[in-house]
Amino acid sequence: MDATLLVSGVIFGLSIGSIYFLMAIGLSLCFGLMRVISLDQLLYYSIGAYIAYSVSLATGSFWLGLLAAVVVGGIVSLLIERLIFRRIYDRDLTFSMITSFGVLLGGVGFIKFIWGLVPRPVPMPISNQANLFGTDIPVYRLLVIVAAIAVYVAIWLFLNRTIIGKAIRAGIENVEHVEGLGINVSRLFTITFLIAGILSSLAGALHAPLIMVDPHMGLEVLAFVFMVVIIGGLGSIKGTLVSAFIVGQVVSIGSLIYAPLAQMAPFAIMLLILLIKPTGLYGSVLLKK
Amino acid sequence: MRKTIDWWWGILLAFSLLAVMRAFLPLPFVNEIMIFSIYAIGCSFLLGRVGFISFGQPAYLAFGAYGTAFYLFYFGTNPFVGIFVGVAAGFIAALIVGPLFVRLRSDYFALVNLALAVIIFYLMQKVLAPITKGDNGLWFLTNMTSTPLLDITRPNHFFVFAFLVALLVWAFYKYLDDTIFGACCLATKINEDKLQFIGYSNFKIRLSAFVIANTTTALAGSLYAVYIGSVSPEITSPARAADPVVVILLGGVGTLYGPIVGSIAYTGMKDVISKLIGNWEMIIGPLLVIIMLAGEKGIWGTLEPWLKKLFFRNTSSTSNKSNAGTDN
Repeated sequence: MDATLLVSGVIFGLSIGSIYFLMAIGLSLCFGLMRVISLDQLLYYSIGAYIAYSVSLATGSFWLGLLAAVVVGGIVSLLIERLIFRRIYDRDLTFSMITSFGVLLGGVGFIKFIWGLVPRPVPMPISNQANLFGTDIPVYRLLVIVAAIAVYVAIWLFLNRTIIGKAIRAGIENVEHVEGLGINVSRLFTITFLIAGILSSLAGALHAPLIMVDPHMGLEVLAFVFMVVIIGGLGSIKGTLVSAFIVGQVVSIGSLIYAPLAQMAPFAIMLLILLIKPTGLYGSVLLKK
Repeated sequence: MRKTIDWWWGILLAFSLLAVMRAFLPLPFVNEIMIFSIYAIGCSFLLGRVGFISFGQPAYLAFGAYGTAFYLFYFGTNPFVGIFVGVAAGFIAALIVGPLFVRLRSDYFALVNLALAVIIFYLMQKVLAPITKGDNGLWFLTNMTSTPLLDITRPNHFFVFAFLVALLVWAFYKYLDDTIFGACCLATKINEDKLQFIGYSNFKIRLSAFVIANTTTALAGSLYAVYIGSVSPEITSPARAADPVVVILLGGVGTLYGPIVGSIAYTGMKDVISKLIGNWEMIIGPLLVIIMLAGEKGIWGTLEPWLKKLFFRNTSSTSNKSNAGTDN
């Protein structure tokens, strides 16, 4: 295979993997702490992309759009946590899966209602190309990768260095004990959900210039994001990062070899990993509350 | 005699209501309900009895539909044989993937099934395109010969056939509920350790339940293929993966008639709402949330105790079992 093609393929894979990571980390945290499967993260992803589109169209600045997307995504996720998720934390896992699917479906309908069905393009904020190993790489893709790594470091510092982060980590191990220590678990849940929502809308906004923004974009990445979470192991941050990059590479390199592989290969790999290790790469045996 | 009537009354009541619907509602709508309810009962059995939620039912639907389509397109002309081939294909496929899947925990199970649906989708759309004709799909409406007595290539005869098949399927699932196997399925959902302690194999019970449920789903796929007269990869599209789950939740998880009620409500709502406004998601989504928040019993799950009180004031204890699945 051509070296330039390979380098650009790897960079493409890394940037796709970064987007998947940003979304999967929210799902993973939500599952780890609250034991809910929050499909509505994909709604915040779409909302992030659409807000980025609208604001950057109105103001001419993509970065302003990115900021607005994160703020709006955060507010919407906070509202949904307060209104809906609050009532279903102590229910069955399947229950949250279906409720959040309802939220996602309703949100997609709402997006169609406001923005219509037509896919919208978002202009690339940085059009420069960087030269890497003799290959021209769009700087924006590198920026997306850097953003994902920065988020990983920030999340790591948050979970390991701050008292709230430590409480979240302890909650992933055992919620009852954390509650017994006098920590407000309900507020902990809200904070985690808010972080997840913000990261998902950030992912949407960052992804917007690379693709066309359309109402079903959330449903399109749904399967891939789930795969990232599953391969990495539900509830593990490090596993999520590793599996996001694996899936990104498989999608990108796979499509270079044989186009239909791009969609199929990751699923085949997920099947394989689950059959060998049913809890994912880094997942421990998590028991239900 | 009394016992037989007791056993049949619910099924006969439900199906006579469906037959009455045939007189009032347009034929395509009723046919779709029949197929959809057979599609949903497999998923309902898995979720309500065994505790497995599957987001990959379209995959098994596709096994049945493509089994039928391949037979009718390339080999034969008899639609009944086509349906048989489709069901056999679904049975074999479920038997192959079953042992791998039923070991997994419920949440992983849902996602692995979704993965299977996606793999089948791309397999049919791209990889096997020379055989499946890709996105265009296989068209074999004119290949089918009419059969004597019951000509299922005609929609009104098809309704009679689908009606009879659905009746049999329901009688079968009702029978399953009353057997030891049905009780074991519930036990493996509620407490697998205890079941193992008694001396049953969780794996075998789950595998049998998985194969039974997904063969039923394949049957729905074959019926669908014969009814439409064509099959395209769209049938296993991941975007429709949640359809059966939504239907059984609307109807009521684990109840026997939930899938029928859910199919009627879902197909009807989609029909009515999409006529009124373009995006049905905006109504269905919040509705789903409201149904879930109101309690996970669904329409039939809420109605059933009430109906029972109305009709059978003294013999209500006979079918309390069917509610046990929802109340854990």
